[in-house]
Amino acid sequence: MNELLRLFRGYVFIRLSGDCPERFINLCGNKGIFLWNIRREQDCCLMYMRLVDFWRIRPMARKTGTRAVVLKRYGLPFFLPKMWKRMFFLSGFALAVTFWIVTSYFVWDIDIRGNYRITDQMITGFLSEREVRPGMRKQTLDINLLEKEIRQYFGQITWVCVQLEGTTLLVTVKEYDAPAEIDEKIPTPSSLIAESETEIVSIIVRSGIPKVKIGDRVQSGTVLVDGKVPVLNDDGSVREYFYVEADADVVGQHRISFTESCAGTYIKKQYTGRIVKRNYLIIGGHRMDVSPACDFLLSDVIQQTQRPPWFEKLSIPIFTGVETCREYYPLEAEYSVTQAEEILYQKLARFLQTLEEKGVQIIEKNVKIDTDDVSWFLYGDFLVREAVGKKEPISSQDTVEE
Amino acid sequence: MKRQLIEKKEELADTLRISKDISLGATCVALTGKYEAWVEHYKGILEYTDSQILLQGRDGMLCVEGCRLTIEYYTNEDMKIKGCIKAVRFL
Repeated sequence: MNELLRLFRGYVFIRLSGDCPERFINLCGNKGIFLWNIRREQDCCLMYMRLVDFWRIRPMARKTGTRAVVLKRYGLPFFLPKMWKRMFFLSGFALAVTFWIVTSYFVWDIDIRGNYRITDQMITGFLSEREVRPGMRKQTLDINLLEKEIRQYFGQITWVCVQLEGTTLLVTVKEYDAPAEIDEKIPTPSSLIAESETEIVSIIVRSGIPKVKIGDRVQSGTVLVDGKVPVLNDDGSVREYFYVEADADVVGQHRISFTESCAGTYIKKQYTGRIVKRNYLIIGGHRMDVSPACDFLLSDVIQQTQRPPWFEKLSIPIFTGVETCREYYPLEAEYSVTQAEEILYQKLARFLQTLEEKGVQIIEKNVKIDTDDVSWFLYGDFLVREAVGKKEPISSQDTVEE
Repeated sequence: MKRQLIEKKEELADTLRISKDISLGATCVALTGKYEAWVEHYKGILEYTDSQILLQGRDGMLCVEGCRLTIEYYTNEDMKIKGCIKAVRFL
């Protein structure tokens, strides 16, 4: 600490020559001048003293007939004049320090972690409503209140922690991830009815009375499994009906068709080979173009935006980017047979994937591709097996009548 | 006469329970091995070479002898001597 203080004030290393260096040292002691590292070398003394004291020794040196010569200079008072010559370096350094200090008083980034049901946009929107956004002063931020408000606003959040890491506001949340409680459904009397025309290939009934058998062809609206279960007397007559929720796995087989088309021509981008790269700067939400605008009539634009590495830690919303414009002109082109087939088969594959996701089993498949010189068409005819039957509640009127 | 005065001062210091070096104004020397000596209550330096430092005390002189003697720091109150100390003599 003393050394730092000395460096700040400046000190000198002097050589004292003359007849009575001891007398000089005594006088210095009496005047309160602090001397250190005094050593004798032949007929002279070497010592250190503070810069302010050096300006006071002239009368003592004259009185004792000694002569002080400065051998070395140390500290800020000697360093600054040297640096003064490097004005631009100094001003740049001062500006940089000022910039870092000033920017550290603000929040420049909001980082949200731990959320998976609640999106970042939802939380950011909520924070914006409460004036918590990049660029705000840290001092105006009430973290405890913000945590409380987040918990109150988002019911799914069970735990939230808001903290400042440098200039980044880190919002860590924990959502309620326990399995959702399944409500015990009260069974309602219902029957299973066919949704479309189909042929029954399998039927397994768990509750209710089956009204169809394997091999039957049924129309849309036909009752497959009845939820009205008769209770018979000993003589076979119906005593009463129990109303249950019909439950069964009924598989039907039927044909479905699929048609898809594709235009015979398309607009092809013919690139001219002219490429223009433009640099831009984004400060906050404002974009500033550094390079002149691109004068292409039609062009593809690829933007690559990145944060300068020296701003990454500070999270200041300053980005640089390069925009690449590739000029093209539109050209009308025709699909070849292979291209058209490829496009149509891709569409067919998407359709089949949708069927597979629904649990539909394809038994037979007929696909044909045709053209009428303007467009390409894909006709598909499929024999499929899928679960049929939708629940139709038994009306209360029926139950009362019975 | 002088001896009596010193004795009275010593008695007074004992009675008031104050340090004798303060009451008598005697030169104090604290040695740390043979490499370091801390001295206080002196009036000034009489002679300084790298083999001998002669100090003026209130009642006499103090001579520190050795080789490569340097003064670590020097103030009106105290000083620290460094080097290879061979002898400390009161003259």
